[in-house]
Amino acid sequence: MICKKCGALGTITLRKKDIYCDVCFSINIVHKFRGCIGKNKILSKDENVLICLSGGKGSTVLLDLIHNGIVLDNHKKLRIRPLFLHISNGDVDRINNIIKQCKLYSFDVYIANIADYFEPNLKILNTNSLPIVNAEHNEKINNMFKDIPLSVYNDMMLKIKRSLFIKYAKLLDCELIFTAETTTSLAINLLSNISIGRGSQIENDIGFMDNRNEKIKIIRPMKDISQEELDNYMRIKQLTCINFDHHQENSIQSVISNFVGDLQENFPATVSTVCKTADKIGLHNDNKIKKDMKCIICESNLNRKNLKLSALEATEFSRLVSLLKPQPTPINSNDGLHTEDWAVVNSMHKSMFPFIHKTLCFSCSRNYAQMSQSQLTQTIQELILT
Amino acid sequence: MPVPCGTGCGKNAALKRPKTGDALCKECFFWAFETEIHFTITKGELFKRGDSVAVAASGGKDSTVLAHTLKTLNERYDYGLNLMLLSIDEGITGYRDDSLETVKQNRDDYEMPLKILSYKDLYGWTMDEIVAQIGRKNNCTFCGVFRRQALDRGAALLGVKCIATGHNADDIAETVLMNVLRGDIARLKRCTAITTGSEGTIPRVKPLKYTYEKEIVMYAHYKKLVYFSTECVFAPNAYRGHARALLKDLEKIRPTCIMDIIYSGETMSIKEEVTLPSQRICTRCKFVSSQEVCKACVLLEGLNKGLPKLGIGKSSKAKKMLEEYNARQNTLEQVIDDLNDTNIKKKSGKKRNGLTDKCNSKTCCSGNCNSTQNNMEDNSKINSLLDEYSLKETDKPVQQLNDVSDDEEGCSSSCGRLGGLGVGF
Ligand SMILES: [Zn+2]
Ligand SMILES: [Zn+2]
Ligand SMILES: [Zn+2]
Ligand SMILES: [Zn+2]
Ligand SMILES: [Zn+2]
Repeated sequence: MICKKCGALGTITLRKKDIYCDVCFSINIVHKFRGCIGKNKILSKDENVLICLSGGKGSTVLLDLIHNGIVLDNHKKLRIRPLFLHISNGDVDRINNIIKQCKLYSFDVYIANIADYFEPNLKILNTNSLPIVNAEHNEKINNMFKDIPLSVYNDMMLKIKRSLFIKYAKLLDCELIFTAETTTSLAINLLSNISIGRGSQIENDIGFMDNRNEKIKIIRPMKDISQEELDNYMRIKQLTCINFDHHQENSIQSVISNFVGDLQENFPATVSTVCKTADKIGLHNDNKIKKDMKCIICESNLNRKNLKLSALEATEFSRLVSLLKPQPTPINSNDGLHTEDWAVVNSMHKSMFPFIHKTLCFSCSRNYAQMSQSQLTQTIQELILT
Repeated sequence: MPVPCGTGCGKNAALKRPKTGDALCKECFFWAFETEIHFTITKGELFKRGDSVAVAASGGKDSTVLAHTLKTLNERYDYGLNLMLLSIDEGITGYRDDSLETVKQNRDDYEMPLKILSYKDLYGWTMDEIVAQIGRKNNCTFCGVFRRQALDRGAALLGVKCIATGHNADDIAETVLMNVLRGDIARLKRCTAITTGSEGTIPRVKPLKYTYEKEIVMYAHYKKLVYFSTECVFAPNAYRGHARALLKDLEKIRPTCIMDIIYSGETMSIKEEVTLPSQRICTRCKFVSSQEVCKACVLLEGLNKGLPKLGIGKSSKAKKMLEEYNARQNTLEQVIDDLNDTNIKKKSGKKRNGLTDKCNSKTCCSGNCNSTQNNMEDNSKINSLLDEYSLKETDKPVQQLNDVSDDEEGCSSSCGRLGGLGVGF
């Protein structure tokens, strides 16, 4: 057990083969974090940056790395003005623990509530105190999440938080947001994205930067750090996290999370392969992007590749023929149906993809269709109409 | 409580469709199933009137349902296609006998001409003969490489305009996941294409691209179609195995994920600065290859020259083997020249590609997934990757190679893996 960097006694084995000592390992983690921000040249001096904290492992390490960076007093000093935000789902214990965690570093933290999603006029919050939750909004959010499939819940939760990060960043005068996703959590998000039809949104959801909002960019400075590295860093620095970020069980995301966990355990290189794949996936470039053509839930561009036929049309067609009795089909018709048949489906509100490409992207439309049974419909419709 | 058929026909539903959640009776299901494939064929512009089309027939459920449906639709909508069945006989004693019997049954049932081409016809060697030459341990390499090219060679012999394969929606979704797991960006880009094939090659089309495996099984079952179901003798590689297991788990939670994964693959863009390996035509056999001489030709060269292990494993190994052999016998300069030639040309070709030829031309990148040959550089890269993964296969160079070369040629084209009747009620 010899550290591959300095030759001292090794204490950590990464990916089952690379041996480091505590010192070299920590230097390496800081290097990865700073390198990720540095090489992308996104920071200007003393810029306000909103740091989003969940209390999970990634968030705990991010907090520590930021603190270590800004207390330095040499040319390596991290020159940002960090502001901290936690979006709560009402868990008071967690809020108190996050306030405590920040206090250790003498940081103040803003606490918002997920129900703020429905607040049209957000106000600047007090730091280090429980948020005041609007009862009406709270009921809306509870209704929205009642009886919806857990896969949709997980996905919507991500989108709602993203939207709130941006709203609060605007309010707090930050043009940059840092979130704490690691290589491992991004591998999970990549496979989840693919599995729910968000393949075209990978660059923004998994890449270094989410560029969908014109003013505010979301940065993922921990993207080159793995779960295994987080665990070791926390052990060395004696950090404890407040909660474990995990997905609702029995969902697309939890299945993938377990799958990636197994890969991490048995084939750790596969996880980084998956993330490298993500780096090669880009956005569909269309020069004539119209500004208003964005999904109202996830802000993804609604422009799309010109495809003769895609799984979207095929699914819509499956719905159509599943509503029609077998009929003698006109030979010359392109799809074997009378044009009026399509109109019937639309008038019955039986479309598999409501509002698709008008206000919603493929996956948000899919989510919407799965939520329609709950009382969400009205809430979302208000959003769509505003 | 019986559920009524969703079309309002008055009958009771026999199944719930995984793609849409709609409940249909048998009759309405048949019509929906067939009309959807018609939609795929017309919207995807798979055929032209008057085309002769080879249906890749393995005797499995996918190819049996494909042959049946194509015949039905060709008559119903007057496509004017000249359909025929094409089967490949690898010449493995006992393995194909039953499935070829099934294909012959298809021929009689659907009144389509059938051409069975053996490896002997296509390559001059049967698998049994190859095994006798090189031993059981290495035969997967040959089988994988030859199998992927066999349909192209067979279709060329038949003089058809295109090949229709039985790849279904599950196969394609699985392939998308597999290519993400192994970081194969070039195949990730190609694998959801409904038509594949570069210029000068016979295109392959997938009329069942949007058809769920479960519905194929149900259709075959209710229509009492005769098909042969067996576990494939070609075990899936490690990545496909993982991808398959993951897809099965995802599908249990949300059956629409199969379409969603395909949609992801279809709408995803590859960054412009990423250079993809180009596809070209093998100078020997004129079939698609990513290098000057395709893998099949290298293997054949080895067999015919009495150096059967040529081309198995890393290129450096093959070269060394040849050099050693040459030093001893001094008779095989030609073979070495060929190989050197391949390597040098490949390298310069890659450079050319990286610098000037942006790989966005249709001829290059809408290429044929199925018969791509991996270049040797890829192999050694994957070999080192596999070392890293510490998969058990590492000490068996054969499987590594099979691993890389295994393309979207999943079970559908080589066997009739049976899915459960899980969606019925
Ligand atoms: Zn060290
Ligand atoms: Zn969206
Ligand atoms: Zn019916
Ligand atoms: Zn199989
Ligand atoms: Zn060749």
